[in-house]
Amino acid sequence: MKKSSQTYTITTLQKKFTAKAILITIMNSLIEKILYHVEKPGRYVGGEHNQIEKDWGSTPLRWCLIFPDIYDIGQTNLGLAMLYQILNAEPDILAERSFAPWIDMEAQLREHDLPLFSLESKKALKEFDILGFTLPYESIYTNVLNILELSGIEAYVSHRTENDPLILGGGQACFNAEPMADFFDAFVIGEGEEVSLEISHLYKAWKANNGSRQELLFQLAKFPGVYVPSLYEVDYLQDGTIEAIRPLRADIPAKITKRIVPVLPPHPEKFLVPNVEIVHDRMSIEIMRGCTRGCRFCHAGMVNRPVRQRSVDQLIPTIKNALKSTGYEEVGLLSLSSSDHTQILELTQQVHENFHDKKLAFGLPSLRIESFSVDLMNELQELKPGGGFTLAPEAATERMRAVINKPLDEEDFYFTVKKIFEHGWRSLKLYYMIGLPTETMEDVEAILEAGIKVKRIGKSILGNSAKVHLGIGTLIPKPHTPFQWLPVESPETIQAKIDYLKAGTRKAGIKMSYNIPDSSLLETWLSRGDRRLGPVIYRAWKNGAKFDAWGERENLPIWREAFESTGVDPDFYAYRERGLDEILPWDHIDIGVKKNFLKQDLQWSLRGRTRPDCRNTCYACGILDAFGETRPDNNISYWGCP
Amino acid sequence: MNDTPIRIRVKYSKSGNLRFLGHIDTQNLFERALRRTELPIRHTQGFNKRIRINLASALPLGFISEAEILDIWLDQPIDTEIIGKKLNEALPDDIKVLEVQMVDNALPSLQASLVSSDYLISIPADPGLETFKNRFQALLTGEKIEIIKRKKTIDLKPMILDYSFQSESPDGDQSFIRLSSSPNANARPDDLLQLLEIDPADCLVKRTKLNFS
Repeated sequence: MKKSSQTYTITTLQKKFTAKAILITIMNSLIEKILYHVEKPGRYVGGEHNQIEKDWGSTPLRWCLIFPDIYDIGQTNLGLAMLYQILNAEPDILAERSFAPWIDMEAQLREHDLPLFSLESKKALKEFDILGFTLPYESIYTNVLNILELSGIEAYVSHRTENDPLILGGGQACFNAEPMADFFDAFVIGEGEEVSLEISHLYKAWKANNGSRQELLFQLAKFPGVYVPSLYEVDYLQDGTIEAIRPLRADIPAKITKRIVPVLPPHPEKFLVPNVEIVHDRMSIEIMRGCTRGCRFCHAGMVNRPVRQRSVDQLIPTIKNALKSTGYEEVGLLSLSSSDHTQILELTQQVHENFHDKKLAFGLPSLRIESFSVDLMNELQELKPGGGFTLAPEAATERMRAVINKPLDEEDFYFTVKKIFEHGWRSLKLYYMIGLPTETMEDVEAILEAGIKVKRIGKSILGNSAKVHLGIGTLIPKPHTPFQWLPVESPETIQAKIDYLKAGTRKAGIKMSYNIPDSSLLETWLSRGDRRLGPVIYRAWKNGAKFDAWGERENLPIWREAFESTGVDPDFYAYRERGLDEILPWDHIDIGVKKNFLKQDLQWSLRGRTRPDCRNTCYACGILDAFGETRPDNNISYWGCP
Repeated sequence: MNDTPIRIRVKYSKSGNLRFLGHIDTQNLFERALRRTELPIRHTQGFNKRIRINLASALPLGFISEAEILDIWLDQPIDTEIIGKKLNEALPDDIKVLEVQMVDNALPSLQASLVSSDYLISIPADPGLETFKNRFQALLTGEKIEIIKRKKTIDLKPMILDYSFQSESPDGDQSFIRLSSSPNANARPDDLLQLLEIDPADCLVKRTKLNFS
């Protein structure tokens, strides 16, 4: 499309018009103009069914909830939907949305000197009181810096002015957000449903008293579940490990305990219905939070304790209302381990009974092989026949499965596989991990053997139409897991294992997908790093790293240069085994699970000792010590803990 | 279930933010809105059951319209007024149903009977009405008005069926234009605007009527 010869910018127009109202009108008409020149403009305009737009002038507290990836990825995020409902339910709070602009839109914004704006009222982000960033994973960090710059807000906390919005972070990556410590005023640790409202009240009171920004940060730092990184100092030893993590004032806590909601709040029902086609465009319903299985590689399983589930009586009306209010044709019933929901069979039966004539598709991912019955399979076949099925054994030898604490009886596994093919699912995807602690080539060979055996079973039932797909992941030992002390396996060893599997699967006619060893390095550094990575992230972003989740590998040279020029050694974070007595960068973040428990679990792991499902036996991980008092008395089984 | 589906023709407007919604997305939006109405919508047969819906013509991205037409099919007859009301409740504000009527099932498809579209183009101050007129008339003096679309050369001249200019209407200077919209001769106003050296982003283009055979 040919560009207009006349280019307007906010600054040139500012000379002509001074009144702010006129400026806003001009900004809106400029936005409309640039939308003609970008791919998929529907990403930036909002206006979806169920959008909430409140009166800007008469609402005292204004949040903008930001998912720092494009709309297509972020809009269906369930956390975002929950906060949007909870905040907007308050009469004196408004919450709008914004996302990272795609590269073409960013170029347009920069060319026309336009700030990034919210979808609802098209207000510049700088005009909001609080910017709440969702940080579900680390590869999104550079986008945060980009969004701040596009909003005219300084990246470094120390450079911000009294009038800048409060920059908050929340989400799964915040259990170790030290690498982003320089850039966030505060992080919310844990579940945000209650604390977001409490922060709102605190903010309103502070604003009414005309307090200083520093005062606000002090008040926030004292608040349960809120971490203000600038009020903590980290000392280092000669060898680069941490000597101490100290709060700068006596009245703020040395450790920040995560927040949980003792009872899951009512599920959102009035989901926004995107107008443009997006990724995972379906309705997500959270049936359960947390997991009692204690797989040792699993970050989500450790940080999201305790287990809390929604009952069938709550879920069916929720699904009904949500379908009525959205018109969605596909529903995902989400949890970390769906078949561990105590009413899973009843739930699927009721879903079938209530919705079978509505021509809908239901998905129930994350099924555990041993708790997954043939009855449940019959129900699932009704809900979403055809297509593929996915299982995640993660390791193929009994020994290895004991190390990761995901035991599985071989016979059960092959019985389930057989039943899956017998029920007519033609394609079976199996997830396995490599780079696990104590792993030998024998364990890797067993993955291929399992794939071949599964393929043979499929062939005996469905003939050549049976497809087997191996998904091979590489372990990144994550903070707050029993493996947090362990190094990542070297890229050479990983490559050798991948090469072996590739050759074997090709020969056996099995599809295989895997991570290129390099491609998970960024996740390794950023997830296991400390606050010395701040300048590295800043430099990488300055040199053009953004959308790292999209082209992590392409951006790797930029990251390596950033490490080199800032004098930070990336291998320190990836390939070094950490001492059991070492202070880890995230030790001041308390997830309720004790460090001693994780240590013991690591030792058990290396001895091949398992900890079966903790719903049956309590291993005193610490979660009940931390939160037991808040457990609802009337329904003790509501939490998975015995 | 009645075996003969009831064919319903809907006329609607599209404006505001939703003018940035493409053709497929508009179709999906109607599908979900129809599901929200809980009307007895006819689904397609087969494995992936979808709602049967037929839009007369794609409206180019960024244009507004007061005359879009689509057909849907119901399993049983419903009062057209109720259909309109339910649809308007389920649709976002930027799409408004204007008319609903029951039509003969045997009629050919909307696309097959569409002949032409009428547009009103608001002419921006730069270049202004006079220059616009001059450029337009200069364009028409040529034997052909050729553009290249998907590596094919197309002559727009025979597809410009009618035009006029209106100065100082309440909406400013405007040009009315009727362009051919049949399956094998489909002209778009933005193609014409490019030839007139005008960025379509600077104009407001409104489709005012779809003409059927």
